[in-house]
Amino acid sequence: MISLNYRDPRPIYEQLEEKLRRLILSGAIGEGEKLPSVRELASQLAINPNTIQRAYRELEQNGFIYSVPGKGSFAGKLSGVDEGRRKELRDKLLAIWTELLQLGENPESLIALLKQIAMGDSVGGGVPDAPEVTAAGAPKAFEAGTAAKKEEKRND
Amino acid sequence: MIEVRNLRKTFDGFVALDDLNLTVPSGAVYGLVGPNGAGKSTVIRHITGIFRPDSGTVTVDSQPVYENPAVKSGIAYIPDDIFYFPSSNLLDMAKFYKGTYENFDMKLYEELRKSFNLDPKTQIRRFSKGMQKQAAFLLAIASRPKVLVLDEPVDGLDPVMRRQVWGLMIQDVAQHGTTVLVSSHNLRELEDVCDHVGILHKGKMLLERTLDELQDNVVKAQIVFREGTDLPESLQVLHRSKVGKVDTAIIRGNQERVGAALNAINPIFFDLVPLTLEEVFVYELGGVDYEVKNVVL
Repeated sequence: MISLNYRDPRPIYEQLEEKLRRLILSGAIGEGEKLPSVRELASQLAINPNTIQRAYRELEQNGFIYSVPGKGSFAGKLSGVDEGRRKELRDKLLAIWTELLQLGENPESLIALLKQIAMGDSVGGGVPDAPEVTAAGAPKAFEAGTAAKKEEKRND
Repeated sequence: MIEVRNLRKTFDGFVALDDLNLTVPSGAVYGLVGPNGAGKSTVIRHITGIFRPDSGTVTVDSQPVYENPAVKSGIAYIPDDIFYFPSSNLLDMAKFYKGTYENFDMKLYEELRKSFNLDPKTQIRRFSKGMQKQAAFLLAIASRPKVLVLDEPVDGLDPVMRRQVWGLMIQDVAQHGTTVLVSSHNLRELEDVCDHVGILHKGKMLLERTLDELQDNVVKAQIVFREGTDLPESLQVLHRSKVGKVDTAIIRGNQERVGAALNAINPIFFDLVPLTLEEVFVYELGGVDYEVKNVVL
């Protein structure tokens, strides 16, 4: 189930966009898999449908999803993700690298890190999320928990 | 869908509504907010045809509401103080609603009643406050209205019930395109469900925008200025405070524009965050002298 953090100051559509993006990038939502409809998600989360619509629009603009009229929205091919999103990330990366170097981080260690990731080795967990609140009692849950389940299986 | 134009209403010399203008587009979820005594319930009573304007117009779907059963049959209203016939049970009320609203859907009523787990044969006055609100909600939705007017619909309900009520409302909106006017003090929750907001103050509309416009056009900036510099003159500042070296300013404008203006003065540090609806409320009203007062006990 998609869960939102009500204490996060960012707009809801941004949070939703991020969560769906991460699910698609990690493969939890596979290529070609159908996303819940705007109406379904709005009802499940008790959020205005326009907000959901906005998140879906942004995801489509950046190439993460595509819609088929009358059928719904589906996860797109990862290689199709827009240059716009990549530029956004590169800018953020530059800011982070700059800060790290200013704090005395060794450039060599950053290069080693990059090589490690490129070769497919996971480098430990990401930044832990702030406490999240889930929509309780919602009918058919959209299984966003599959990513967590995959993680559990790997650690066995 | 709902249009209030130049509405004026006086009670015993007290001007409750002062040349008020309000517009709720079709299919919108409009949050009506404002300080206590601003006139929210009074406006709502005009929209539901309980009060007649002294001057001005109140129309739903271009038709005046007052004493107009044809228009009223498409409006379902849940007031802050819900009324039930004294010894009635839920089934009695459903039958009453069925006799009043031509589109009342008994099957839908039954479905909702079961999912809320409410006994149709118990006297409603023996229901808890929360259950009474749930009952009001399901009767309103089962009337299949075009317009839902809700005055503090989740006030006094526990967190689970609150979500259930909002969820039900959103489902109705998503499935049937119902127009909703909801008044509440819980801006945190309204922010999730509304797409339009109207801030009422002293009987007048202070600010009426879509939620996106509202949130995209005010930012909170935290800045550490370089020696001898300050905020650019071009920026419209709603509020300002300082703690140590960090200035906090509430500025009108979108994040990009404000960010660009701040970058231009090259501060040591700055950060921009969007405002929550609650913060927008507090700062906008602070600007018109309605603010948290430092009370010395």
